[in-house]
Amino acid sequence: MSRRTLWSAAIILVIIPATIWAGIYLLNDRRYYFVSLLIILYTMIPFALIFERRKPQARELIAIAVMASLAVAGRAAFFMLPQFKPVTAIVIIAGVSLGAEAGFLVGALAGFVSNFFFGQGPWTPWQMFCFGLIGFLAGLIFRRRDKLPTRSVLCVFGGLATLVIYGGIINFGSHLMFSPQFSWEILATVYISGFWFDLVHAAATVFFLLVLARPMLEKLERVKTKYGLIQEKS
Amino acid sequence: MAIYRIRELSFSFPEQGAPALAHIDLNIMTGEFLTLCGRSGSGKSTLLRQLKPVLTPHGRREGEILYAGEPLASVDARRQAAEIGFVQQSADNSVVTDKVWHELAFGLESLGIDQQTIRLRVAEMASFFGIQHWFHAAVSELSGGQRQLLQLASVMAMQPSVLILDEPTSQLDPIAALDFLGTLARINRELGTTIILTEHRLEEVLPITDRLVVMEHGRIVADGAPLKAAEELRRLQHPMFRAMPSAVRIHAGVGSKLVTPLTVRDGRGWLLAHLAEEQVAPAGSGQHEGASSQTRSETAAARDVNPDAGVVAKQALVPALRFRDVWFRYEKHGADVLKRLSFDVQPGQLYAILGGNGAGKSTTLSLAAGLLRPYRGQVRVEGRDPAKVRPKELFHGGLAVLPQQPQTLFVQKTVALELTDMLRDSKLDEQARQDRIQEVIAFAELEDLLDQHPYDLSGGEQQRAALAKVLLLEPKILLLDEPTKGLDAFFKEKLADLLRRLQAKGVTVVLVSHDIEFCASYADRCALCFDGAMIAEGAVREFFAGSSFYTTAANRIARDLWREAVSVEDVIRHCQEETTR
Amino acid sequence: MRDHFSSSHPLIQAIYFVAVLIFSMLFMHPVFQLLALTAAAAYVLLLKGRRAVRFLLLGMVPLLLLAAVLNPAFNHAGVTILFYLRSGNPVTLESLLYGVAAACTFVTVIIWFSCLHVVMTSDKWVYLLGRILPALSLLLTMSLRFVPRYVEQAKRISAAQRCIGRDVTQGNWLVRARNGMTILSILTTWALENAMETADSMKARGYGLPGRTSFSLFRWGTRDSRLLLTLLLLLGIVGLGAAAGENTIRFFPSILYPDITWRSMTVYTAYGLLCSLPLLLNGWEEWRWRSTVSAS
Repeated sequence: MSRRTLWSAAIILVIIPATIWAGIYLLNDRRYYFVSLLIILYTMIPFALIFERRKPQARELIAIAVMASLAVAGRAAFFMLPQFKPVTAIVIIAGVSLGAEAGFLVGALAGFVSNFFFGQGPWTPWQMFCFGLIGFLAGLIFRRRDKLPTRSVLCVFGGLATLVIYGGIINFGSHLMFSPQFSWEILATVYISGFWFDLVHAAATVFFLLVLARPMLEKLERVKTKYGLIQEKS
Repeated sequence: MAIYRIRELSFSFPEQGAPALAHIDLNIMTGEFLTLCGRSGSGKSTLLRQLKPVLTPHGRREGEILYAGEPLASVDARRQAAEIGFVQQSADNSVVTDKVWHELAFGLESLGIDQQTIRLRVAEMASFFGIQHWFHAAVSELSGGQRQLLQLASVMAMQPSVLILDEPTSQLDPIAALDFLGTLARINRELGTTIILTEHRLEEVLPITDRLVVMEHGRIVADGAPLKAAEELRRLQHPMFRAMPSAVRIHAGVGSKLVTPLTVRDGRGWLLAHLAEEQVAPAGSGQHEGASSQTRSETAAARDVNPDAGVVAKQALVPALRFRDVWFRYEKHGADVLKRLSFDVQPGQLYAILGGNGAGKSTTLSLAAGLLRPYRGQVRVEGRDPAKVRPKELFHGGLAVLPQQPQTLFVQKTVALELTDMLRDSKLDEQARQDRIQEVIAFAELEDLLDQHPYDLSGGEQQRAALAKVLLLEPKILLLDEPTKGLDAFFKEKLADLLRRLQAKGVTVVLVSHDIEFCASYADRCALCFDGAMIAEGAVREFFAGSSFYTTAANRIARDLWREAVSVEDVIRHCQEETTR
Repeated sequence: MRDHFSSSHPLIQAIYFVAVLIFSMLFMHPVFQLLALTAAAAYVLLLKGRRAVRFLLLGMVPLLLLAAVLNPAFNHAGVTILFYLRSGNPVTLESLLYGVAAACTFVTVIIWFSCLHVVMTSDKWVYLLGRILPALSLLLTMSLRFVPRYVEQAKRISAAQRCIGRDVTQGNWLVRARNGMTILSILTTWALENAMETADSMKARGYGLPGRTSFSLFRWGTRDSRLLLTLLLLLGIVGLGAAAGENTIRFFPSILYPDITWRSMTVYTAYGLLCSLPLLLNGWEEWRWRSTVSAS
């Protein structure tokens, strides 16, 4: 069993239930928010620790930093279409090209760094988690290194991921931030009011992937072969 | 003692026939200031990278390199990192962190040095390089020169015993480049650090160099003290001789038997001595000399073909580019960047706008391209306001801009695709498109580069590819922003040749540049931009005859005798006329 | 105005913000909420001046009202019925007050974050992360360097593209989007290719050698020790108070909160001091400065 599996097992079997238990018995009104926030932080910890433990090489660091920064700065290229944000698409591309772990880091870093420029808030951990998860899943699903995924498959994944994962989690998070008690009614309202926004976001991601996925993946492949960017890990 | 001993070193890249380095033998002594020169692709950078193992590219290598007596490969990694400092061409790319102080500490952190020592070393470096004032700044706020200085300082913080620099000033303006080279000389002199440098600015760097090594096709063709190496190049009639300082070339062209001068100062002394030797120079006072040169310059001016002669006839036409009392500022309450800027460019001219950083040169270009609009005054491109013409119209068959970074134009995987992409919205049929593309390929000499990735090309080749791209728009006016930045002497000549040929086709060329030598050699008219206005403007000769500091090295050497002698060839011709008279 | 709390050690700032954020989210008791909200608003005013006034009036007040209305619309628990909605559901005093409390929490947290954004500048994050997760800290500082650089390059590319007739500011959204994609694509190539030189520069300066240390300009001083002691003392009192239930309030079915006693007063005072620690520090430094200047 790899170290990541051990960590995940420990977290899923011990720490998360303990947190939920503690939340229910020690906190009254805010338990939903705190418990969910802590769980989100827990899921990020193994990535951070494994990354540190591995002592990543310069090129690997650079690749992650470049992709995360591109995701943030990509907004500047679309200053004339403000509702079009390429972040999710770039995170997916990074996950596909650099692997699941790097995909998670690119997503989480992009979420964190973009809030340095647009303002930190209680939403920061949620965003980091969502982007990270999307990058991670992209890396897991499109694992085969010998063949790049087709555009249509990527687009379907991108659209669903944005709508279900990002929209789903962020809306859930904002409900818990806004109102302390969990209520299905409020959750439904939040989802309905946010639906169009999420749909535009998903459409933008699909559009970006449709146009950008191929050239960007090729560019990444080029630097990977030209500079031996990330050695194949067995 | 030799810090590096290189024996029979050969190196070839994978899947490439010709070796990049062939049988290099070189001993580099401790404390030496060694300059390595050669045209792009001669193997200079490849050789430098052999001296720093972590940067050595993959490939086949023969021969051996000893560092301080030990085989380089067996030197401990920590020692290599600390003792062999490497400074890259682009400071923008090499700065890793976002704060100046953090960048200074980066290498020391890698070496695992404790807080207290890092604090001391960082403070020392900041004081040595005069960085205290921007010590807390973010890297994004720095100027190009400051960033390059930061890169140097952050390498020096590790206290290297040898400093290797790969064209460190090629992205800097002349003033920042001089500052940088001055700092290098100081490091060499005050700290005794060995310096190995590749550089195109030989005029500035040779006076501080102990030893010049010239490379060609992966081999060393000349090696020795700068004057000795130059002499060797002359003997071989090597093309690199054209890159030598003006004083050396004038001396060689005249065929003097006196000691070869290297700097402008020595050149001035030598010229007088030479003319005295030939017993033709007026041996009177400086006053007298000045007066006589005045008369000479008049005769010379009368003899020279007046470059304005053709233009006067065209004066009645609509100017290709006209600025009339243009005022501009970026922010409502900001300072004016352009203040009553006026100039005209006549059709078919090669017009150069010179000036330092922040003088308003680039802003002028943006206004001409209609990217910005003046708040007062007129900008006219062939009589039309560029900001009001739809970009599609303005930039097709009208105006074209070659940006300072050719890379801002590259989208595709190969040069050929780049060219095809340019015509994607064109209404031409397939055959006409192909013809047009073939035409620019031939014009810009891209035949051998078509299948390459644009980023695999050298700086000069990238620029030619970018130029070919914009030429597909069939411009009547071509604007170029710093076109000679980072180019070696040969690529500059090639560029000049292309511009000449465009001119012959009737294209008006306007360029903004720091490069005095280039403008002096190839422009029809020059203008000096300072503090948002044109301070001086005129045909090349009269322009440079009028300024005393802002002029070519050849002119500074000979200006007391022949004011209008701008290029090395001018001075040589005058000398020969004087001595044969 | 210059903020003196910003010049204390980042660890102090981190402890302070974590504490006030958690407490602000946990404590629904009106006295605690009022203390936190006032301190947060005062601190943001001190940090941002006039900009903060706009932020508070135009951003936070409407948000407060919205959040306050939202709860009673969905929550119908409580015994004191005020009136009935058209749908037949009652609006109760308890749910209204609960809504106000929830809104207050939310707004206070947002204001704290806006203070945090000013005080905890990026270099402090890099420093704090560098202590525990050096590789991630390096990733952060690299991204902070790359983002402004890429934004600048995107502008340059956009200008260059405009000059070959590909304008992103004109045309329908499809054309714009396509040209935007071109810019992003050019930017990507440029970023990736140039980044390899950055990697070289890291390697050339020994990155990857074992035993890397983490340097920072921040130094722990006597003032930081005093601040830490004060912080821990106040945290202890508030923590004990919370354990004793001083901070709790019951909203449903009817409102119930602990009586005001000397013990509760102590906890209130401690919480008030904790929240306004930066303000007090600024006052103290101001007084010190004045007395130094007048003494000389």
